[in-house]
Amino acid sequence: MTEPIRLAILGCGAITRSEHIPAVSAHPGVHLVALVDTDLPRANALIQNRGLSCKAVADYRELLGQVDAVINALPNHLHVSSNMDCLRAGVHVLCEKPLAITAADARSCAEFAEDNKLVLAVGMNRRFAASHPLFKLIIEEGLLGSIQDYDFQYGGAFDWRSASGFYFDRAKAGGGALVDFGVHMLDSVIDWFGPVSTLDYQDDDWGSGIEANLFLDLKHAGHEAAIGTQPSAVSKDTPGHLRISRTFTLKNRILVRGTVASAEISVQDPEVVVIHRALGGVPVSETLRLENFPGGSSYWRQLDNFVQSIANRGKPEVDGWQAVRVLELIESCYAHKRRIAEPWAESGAESGTKSRTVTGPATVTANSGAHK
Amino acid sequence: MNWRNETVFVTGATGFIGGRVCERMMQAGVPKLRALVHGMHRAARIARMPVELCPGDLLDRESLRRALGEAKVVIHCGLGPANSIVRGTENVLAVAHAAGVKRFIHVSTAAIYGITPPPGSETEDAPLGRTGDAYCDNKAAAEKVVLDYGKRGVPVVILRPSIVWGPYSAWSTRLMDDLRAGRVVFLEGGNGACNTTYVDNLIDAMILGLENDRALNQAFFITDGERVSWGDFIRAHMALLEPPPEVKEISRAEIEASRGRSSGLLLGSMQATARVARSKEFRQMLMEIPLTEAAMKKAWNWISSLPPEKRERLRARLGVRRAAPKSTKGKFIPDAVTEATQSTTVFFSIEKARKMLGYEPCVRFADGMKLVEQWLRYAAYL
Repeated sequence: MTEPIRLAILGCGAITRSEHIPAVSAHPGVHLVALVDTDLPRANALIQNRGLSCKAVADYRELLGQVDAVINALPNHLHVSSNMDCLRAGVHVLCEKPLAITAADARSCAEFAEDNKLVLAVGMNRRFAASHPLFKLIIEEGLLGSIQDYDFQYGGAFDWRSASGFYFDRAKAGGGALVDFGVHMLDSVIDWFGPVSTLDYQDDDWGSGIEANLFLDLKHAGHEAAIGTQPSAVSKDTPGHLRISRTFTLKNRILVRGTVASAEISVQDPEVVVIHRALGGVPVSETLRLENFPGGSSYWRQLDNFVQSIANRGKPEVDGWQAVRVLELIESCYAHKRRIAEPWAESGAESGTKSRTVTGPATVTANSGAHK
Repeated sequence: MNWRNETVFVTGATGFIGGRVCERMMQAGVPKLRALVHGMHRAARIARMPVELCPGDLLDRESLRRALGEAKVVIHCGLGPANSIVRGTENVLAVAHAAGVKRFIHVSTAAIYGITPPPGSETEDAPLGRTGDAYCDNKAAAEKVVLDYGKRGVPVVILRPSIVWGPYSAWSTRLMDDLRAGRVVFLEGGNGACNTTYVDNLIDAMILGLENDRALNQAFFITDGERVSWGDFIRAHMALLEPPPEVKEISRAEIEASRGRSSGLLLGSMQATARVARSKEFRQMLMEIPLTEAAMKKAWNWISSLPPEKRERLRARLGVRRAAPKSTKGKFIPDAVTEATQSTTVFFSIEKARKMLGYEPCVRFADGMKLVEQWLRYAAYL
């Protein structure tokens, strides 16, 4: 590497504070030029608080021409316009997820970046946890035998103290838990098990478009096996169950069941994969980890991948097209959604003879396997 | 009044009761619902509805004025820290008064009579005294402020639920956690009065309070109207677990002995209880003399309801010694609040609500428990 990349961070909200600033500060290939926030005092306070030597700017457009790259951590609904402004000025972009609210908007970003040979990376930091590539290896090497199904749960009391609170506004967030946590999970499972062929989606949206809970049953088409190679461990129509909650604590792990063994990644320790199998009929487990995996946070590795991609004019680990694929899937979920049955919410009849207006299908029964 | 065409403002909307109020108001088809939200990150449950999430703070009157907006109906479930309950309630009342609201439902609590309400507090006309507990005393003081505003023309209704339970209630989720962790005991055989108030029953009462003008300036106990004991409540939850957890019985004396503290309950034996029951203080309180088992129980509960320093004074005066410390044989010792809560002997009467509000609890305990079970499964507690 010759000159460090001149970089600005757009948005001084929660993720910038907790992850991007520490990652940028720890990366020798990056020179932080500015923090951008329409709330200028907030940007200044952050600079002072962290002892940064960059400037504070209210409008990112002032910086175009002075920076090589940006990390875009603005609220979701501002991603597309700011991404496009930056790309048009020849600035490389690492955009927080989701890349856009709609797949169409994401597509235009991806297309523009590709046509103009700019790096557009999407902030799927979980791809940079050691367990992600390790899991891929485990599946590909057939350690589990042939994959039967998987159960992926992520949930806890919502506690994301966003500075702008945009996540409860449909127009700004683009959806609820599916857009928020779901993009990560869908991105991972597509990368592991291949494109999704069918889906059955239910959520608890009562009319705001901001679901707090969802069940998603899907089937994967599997990866296309190259001619002459071993058949893939992921066969066509491999089923998966996803459950996401912003209100309940779930198991917070993915468990993949294979004919020979099961593999588990816990959200608590995303650097390892635990293999469960039987040894002489006795259940045993072993923990696998990648040796020689670089240290630092997943955000640092993500930034490093972005920096390397710019230097080598290569594709980042997660490019715009992969984000398009996930957003298309999310749009398909929303287009075909059914409401989760909540019999406890439908049953409190008012005293006396008055009838209550109860909307939405109450007959839908969620897949019982997903409740476990 | 016809509240169904009004904008409704709910405080405490991110809590268990307020969250269900929002759901019920949506189901009732109110044209607009405004929810006071103190911590936006806690609003996931209500954010799935077309509810106006209004940032604000019970202690910031200006924020309340903005949050109330054009609403003409207020359902005040909000609480805040115990020492600011009164101020918060007064603030909501003040902005509601200024806005000329048509109804103000104040969610009070039967606990204004104490964590262990004394015998005689079965009906709403029982006199209130200081309980020594910040939550109880502040909720009692808040009622006075509500009635004050009632006199000034705010159409107020006060509801006093007891153990409000149902889906999303910590009474059930904490109990499940505690059962799994071996942190549950049957106190004195589990005979304490639980006074369950299923959340939808409470909301039915709120709706009746909105509709019924006879309810104005009145306070009502609201329960499920069943004599559910703490033992019943605990056993109903135990039955959901496989294998069923072991729950041991414990006496107050055993708890006392295990704590070995000087300011705890006075009694270590029924003999001592009898001494208290014969005391001038207790007779004055009860106005009855025969030393029946019922009176003994009342004595026991009366003592339990006293603040520690009063108990200590009484002990010193009567010369009653504390029971010698005994082994608790590995039993879990509940904390003082749990002990006090489950020592309740009073079953609150809902006759006044029946007569004046037309209240009838629709969800029976057993039916409520079925819904809680379904919800616990959904919420991944089972």
